[in-house]
Amino acid sequence: MPVRIWRKPLDLEKAKPPRGEIHIIKDRCKGCGYCIEYCPRRVLEESDEINKRGVHPPKVEEESKCVVCSFCTAVCPDFAIFVVEKPCEGGC
Amino acid sequence: MSVEVKPESEEIRIGVYVCHCGLNIAGSVDCAEVAEFASKLPYVVLAKDMRYTCSDQGQDTIKQDIKEYGLNRVVVASCSPRLHEPTFRRACEEAGLNKYLFEMANIREHCSWVHLHNRQEATEKAKELVKMAVMRAARLQPAVEKEVPIRPEALVIGGGVAGIQAALDLADTGYHVYLVEKEPSIGGRMAQLDKTFPTMDCSICILAPKMSDVGRHPNITLLTYSEIVDVKGYIGNFKVKVLKKPRYVTEDCTACGDCSKVCPMIAPNEFDIGLAIRHAIYAPFAQAVPSTYVVDRELCLNKEGIVVCDKCVKACERQAINFEMKPEEIELEVGTIIVAIGAEVFDPSTIPHYGYGRYPNVITSLEFERLINAGGPSGGKLLRPSDMKIPKTVAFVQCVGSRSEKTGKTYCSNVCCMNTIKDALLIKEHWPETQIYVFYVDIRAFGKGFEDLYRRAKKGGVIFIRGLPAQIIEDKKTRSLWLIGENTLQKELYKIHVEMAILSIGLEPRKETELIQKLLTLSRTPDGFFMEAHPKLRPVDAATGGIFFAGCAEAPKDIKDSVTQASASAARAGILMAKRKVTVEALTPIWIPEKCKACGLCVKVCPYNAIKLDEKSKKIEIVEAACAGCGTCGAECPFGALIMRHFTDEQIFAQIDAATEINADKKIVAFCCNWCSYAGADFAGVSRMQYPENVRIIRTMCSGRVAPKFVERAFARGAAAVLVSGCHLGDCHYINANYQTKKRIEKLWKKMEKAGLNKERLQLAWISAAEGEKFASKIREMQAIIEGITPEEIEKAKKLFEKALEP
Repeated sequence: MPVRIWRKPLDLEKAKPPRGEIHIIKDRCKGCGYCIEYCPRRVLEESDEINKRGVHPPKVEEESKCVVCSFCTAVCPDFAIFVVEKPCEGGC
Repeated sequence: MSVEVKPESEEIRIGVYVCHCGLNIAGSVDCAEVAEFASKLPYVVLAKDMRYTCSDQGQDTIKQDIKEYGLNRVVVASCSPRLHEPTFRRACEEAGLNKYLFEMANIREHCSWVHLHNRQEATEKAKELVKMAVMRAARLQPAVEKEVPIRPEALVIGGGVAGIQAALDLADTGYHVYLVEKEPSIGGRMAQLDKTFPTMDCSICILAPKMSDVGRHPNITLLTYSEIVDVKGYIGNFKVKVLKKPRYVTEDCTACGDCSKVCPMIAPNEFDIGLAIRHAIYAPFAQAVPSTYVVDRELCLNKEGIVVCDKCVKACERQAINFEMKPEEIELEVGTIIVAIGAEVFDPSTIPHYGYGRYPNVITSLEFERLINAGGPSGGKLLRPSDMKIPKTVAFVQCVGSRSEKTGKTYCSNVCCMNTIKDALLIKEHWPETQIYVFYVDIRAFGKGFEDLYRRAKKGGVIFIRGLPAQIIEDKKTRSLWLIGENTLQKELYKIHVEMAILSIGLEPRKETELIQKLLTLSRTPDGFFMEAHPKLRPVDAATGGIFFAGCAEAPKDIKDSVTQASASAARAGILMAKRKVTVEALTPIWIPEKCKACGLCVKVCPYNAIKLDEKSKKIEIVEAACAGCGTCGAECPFGALIMRHFTDEQIFAQIDAATEINADKKIVAFCCNWCSYAGADFAGVSRMQYPENVRIIRTMCSGRVAPKFVERAFARGAAAVLVSGCHLGDCHYINANYQTKKRIEKLWKKMEKAGLNKERLQLAWISAAEGEKFASKIREMQAIIEGITPEEIEKAKKLFEKALEP
């Protein structure tokens, strides 16, 4: 049996992976769903809302999972989403 | 192929030597009586009993007699041919007798040792075993062995300290070595340890220089992050397929670590047993060789074909990161293989009453190594995981996953006692006030300098208590622990309070052991570790030629023993490669064109594709270098067109006939394959397991050699029962030849059933070299079966198979 890994790493608190603040410009969205589809952390999902263009824009399902890869920004055809890195708590 | 066949007219002159082996044989067999009996057998011109036939004196006697009496066959009745056949064959050759004219009767492992308390019956059995050997010897033919070249290149599987040492020794000797390691870095278990016993050297400090030696040695090709997927071939000429997984980082990497710093993904680091984190792009540990970083694609945000996150790529000045890398299949050709795959550690969460996995302050000895290591996750502080405080009282619990029926690991893991003593001293060194208890079964301090270290620990105030805790209970508030058990020396119960408990976990075989066993056709002991060719005299050789063991793959052992064994296996492999050639036994078949009907059955059953049938000319070609000599083709051929050298039908019939000459209706004729079952029967002998004496073992190289007509012949001669035994399915020494055995026996069972015969009289058993007890109990079980067999049934079988008596 391989070594079982179950403990919380001692330096987990010190490791500060980037955390993102996701901004969605809802009315620019045409509902293609690329950002939802391609987000590697599954941070986004379709909302129930209907925007000006008559589609469901994405909404943030769990922001804490975002690591600021900004791929959503890269794939959005309508420049409707961008991520800002949050300053780390307690300073980095 | 050159076979010198002696003229038919030459008179057969056999010399028989019955060995006393001190009292090993003479203690339960009347050797003089056996020799007297042998002297009256046909073809025998002289028979002697001797105290130690294998001694120089004994061998000299044989050599002199060959010359003086013109012996042209020699039979030695002594131990197993697996032990001394090479010795006597050499003696015969020195006297000018072809070694294939030598035969052994195994009257020690298969007779005196398994019938210790019945001298008369053991003596009778020994006589018959000698008779069988004499009748076979009379039909032996001389043969010339073929030479096979040996590639002067070696493969070492596993890059722990054993594999590293073996690779370095071979490379320094001048051979090219491929070192294949599954993990991204070599170093193995030793790299994780803090200090080593008994000298307290820093583990990585003595290992790291060796690791870098491997990395830059011109004779070593290091293949890390690679796995063996296929092995074909034989001694001297193995073809190995290795799958090299992509690292996604090229050799341009300077290990600066800039990539890791920007990687947003984290996971527990396996090297630190999850006590520290690592990123998706990482180096397993600071001293890793190669130092090239590696990307964990499971964790990385980038999946196949899509680069979502390129932070590392941007951070890498050397542009060494490449997500386009693909797995590579590499083919190697090597002459020898050293198996150094190491061992896994026991998972103590399977013992619920110790609370590992539930109580944060119960840790394993391996976690301890990382905690006490200055370069480890806690910077060398022994911290309680619950509150990050240094414990004032510590308990070590020994034999966790060793020497216990409950965990199924009954063996001693060899390293844990000394490891604990070392660990206790380390704690005392750093925090002298710490109260340390060691709960043990026995303290095994058997090696050089071990006892001194044990004394130092006792003198230093470590308290040793005999008796493992029955249970560990956690105080929910303080997260401290209560250990409850019995002090078996003082016969009183204890309940001891500690702030941290360290479980001294044992070693167990890696799960890859099974795969390597299959690929290389090796055997394993019941514990699951690899089995050596001989426990005393060939401790690093595998039974399969050209393969050697080093380190914990063979059994749990400490660093010193692993290194010793690694150097030994390198020397053994080096001997083969220095010779550049090896002779292979002349066991390949001879094709008789007149009898062949070109049906192609032999081609189908050959596990090595060593037989080729030319459809047009109806000619068979036997590729001798590829043939391993299992004899499955010979057993399959319905026309007798393939003669298996040294295991001919005629020779085996002679043995069957000799075994069934008297009291056949009480006899079990057993066919045992050389590699597993015969060795298993030897093991029963070595372990002095007693079983009924009416079994007569006939050795074949593989159970696949056992043609149905052999079984039929035994029944036609009136044998009460027949046992056919071989390696376990999947473990066959000849890839899959024993599946043919299974098919043939099933066919025979059907035939017997149809004729109204008790099919239990024919037994098929898979018995490995380590299953002595299984062999002994199989014979006992068969004894019970034959007791119920009536004379009518014997007659009925005789009649049914009467055709098998025809020559």
